[in-house]
Amino acid sequence: MSNNVKLTTEKKSPLDFLKHIFRRRASLDARKARAGYVFVLPFLLGIVLIYLPILIDSLWFSFSQISATSDGTGRLNIVSVGFENYVKPFNTPGFTEALLAGLQQLLFEVPAIIVFSLFIAVVLNQKMLGRAMFRAIFFVPVIISTGIMMDFSAGGQNDMSGAVGGETNSGTGEGGASEIISVLDVQQLFASMKIGGELVTYVVGIVNNVYNIINYSGVQMLIFLAGLQSISPSIYEACRIDGATGWETFWKITFPMISPMILVNAVYTVIDSFTRTNNPAMRFIQNAFALQPEMSTAMYWMYFLIIALIIVVVAGIASSFVFYQRKD
Amino acid sequence: MESTKTTITKETKNKIQVDYEGKLSTKERLLNKIKASNTWITAIVNVFKFILMLGVSFVIIYPFITKIAGSFMSPNDLADVTVSLIPRDFNIDQYKYIIQDNGYFFHIDDLGQQHLGAFFHTLFLSLICAAIQTMVACLVGYGIAKFKFKGNVAVMVAVVVTMIIPHSALQLAFRQHFISFDIAHVMSTGNMGIIQTLTGGKNIELINTYWPFIIMSLGGIAFKNGLYIYMMRQFFKGVPDELEESAYVDGSGTFRTFVQIILPLSVPMMITIFLFSFSWQWTDQFYTNLFFEGADAPWTMPKIVSLPASLEILYTGHPVLKMFTTVVENTASLMIILPLVIMYLFCQKYLVQGIERSGLVG
Repeated sequence: MSNNVKLTTEKKSPLDFLKHIFRRRASLDARKARAGYVFVLPFLLGIVLIYLPILIDSLWFSFSQISATSDGTGRLNIVSVGFENYVKPFNTPGFTEALLAGLQQLLFEVPAIIVFSLFIAVVLNQKMLGRAMFRAIFFVPVIISTGIMMDFSAGGQNDMSGAVGGETNSGTGEGGASEIISVLDVQQLFASMKIGGELVTYVVGIVNNVYNIINYSGVQMLIFLAGLQSISPSIYEACRIDGATGWETFWKITFPMISPMILVNAVYTVIDSFTRTNNPAMRFIQNAFALQPEMSTAMYWMYFLIIALIIVVVAGIASSFVFYQRKD
Repeated sequence: MESTKTTITKETKNKIQVDYEGKLSTKERLLNKIKASNTWITAIVNVFKFILMLGVSFVIIYPFITKIAGSFMSPNDLADVTVSLIPRDFNIDQYKYIIQDNGYFFHIDDLGQQHLGAFFHTLFLSLICAAIQTMVACLVGYGIAKFKFKGNVAVMVAVVVTMIIPHSALQLAFRQHFISFDIAHVMSTGNMGIIQTLTGGKNIELINTYWPFIIMSLGGIAFKNGLYIYMMRQFFKGVPDELEESAYVDGSGTFRTFVQIILPLSVPMMITIFLFSFSWQWTDQFYTNLFFEGADAPWTMPKIVSLPASLEILYTGHPVLKMFTTVVENTASLMIILPLVIMYLFCQKYLVQGIERSGLVG
């Protein structure tokens, strides 16, 4: 035994000693931390080397006046103009209106999308006839209603139904919606019930936009479904044994358990809704981009600040309602 | 056994008939079942749910039905009031000319040279981006979820920030940065970046190449990459630590554990993210417009959306030409998503599986 130890100590050369210094065994935590850095390295490099410079330059551009130089190199001539780009938009006709319209659409869409996707997710989570088929159909919009397809599904769809239906219904001006649900009927129904005007407008708005709302609920539905799947069946079982009805089970079990998902979805929906190209504010700013890119960039930053504020408010309100299950 | 009051007869291979003393007739049993009030309510609720789901599915599917119907029509059908969904003058001209004139598979430029068309360019671009983005999301998500290091929270915050800052706000800077590409190069300071300093001020233009997409994917800052990283992180949080610990005890290193144990586990989730990033890149218009421009630009999917020249010549002056143009554009949109739909049909079950397992819970 002691012989062995001697042997190893004798073998130690200066080189080994150097190796030992460099490969000094760090503690397990330190080694794990080092591995962690290696894993997030691509993102760190991306952020520091590419994203941050772009972010800084974008802000800088929004405070500048940009023009092409005349020497033909395509180099840009950039002059700082202070807050001019941030003041000018408010003198541009249509900007404030577009901003308000965008916010209005946001306020209108977010609750509708969340309620709708939660409802559908709860139904899709139960055993029912043709569930696999319905799931397949409901997630089609996640894959398809993005990018270039959004232009078709939003604007094109109405033209399309009108187009294929011949000239018959294009005169009514209702477009595609009239073929799915008659909006006039809903208006009449609600007008005959004595409910406040705002509610009628809201409901009619939802009915008019039912296509959009369904199409933009895909990811939210997936998130809710995932949340519902993670609720332990034994809780429901205990609930049933105690004699709770389906309604009570939903409000006492499902809703609190799913509330973190509601927060996630609220934030996601706000982001998704305001970065979507068919949002009136986005469309206005994008159109301005062709003429005055630097002013458009400034508009984007202002718009982003407003939305960031909204996200903070929404997250703040929602997180006070959120119930977190204590992990054991 | 008692004297056989119970008889079992085999009717078919998988069906037996059991008779015993005091067995109610089928009719009576049915009546009893109907009398139980519970059955009624359940049945009504189920029928209601089914119809509702059917209705919502219809809303999702309907635009595609009209688009498909319209894609087989000629302008004469559009002008005909009596034709609604089933074309009378059935033809595949729209598909034919979109493939031929708009460069779906092969694009012929102004000089008469043949290039790869929209389908191949978009396919390559989407495959490259989706593969890189899935891999990067896996790595970064795993790093954030499973390792405690200084700045762990800061990295997560950075991920969320990249998610909420709209890329439209950055588009001008994005373009400028890829017209003359460099790393760690802040233009506003007027200094040169790292690459330019090393090469002596050489200008690298990456517009009209795939490089902007590849670089952004590698850095995890491309379109919606924040969401992918977030999803991956949530997934890895749900993977029990004991799994890795037992691997460490057996002498496996961190990276070997990741490749041999964690990655095989996360295949459904990776397919989900691959599917997302592939299809979102496939239908993307914003970045292709931003980074591809002019005559040298790769011919991608958004470019096939126009009225093919042959059809325009064929129907010049037709009274419903404008409407027909819309229909043709819709046909083009169908052709854009057709490969996606086929892919979706194959991966659909992984999508739901991946999402369910991820337990995206906060």
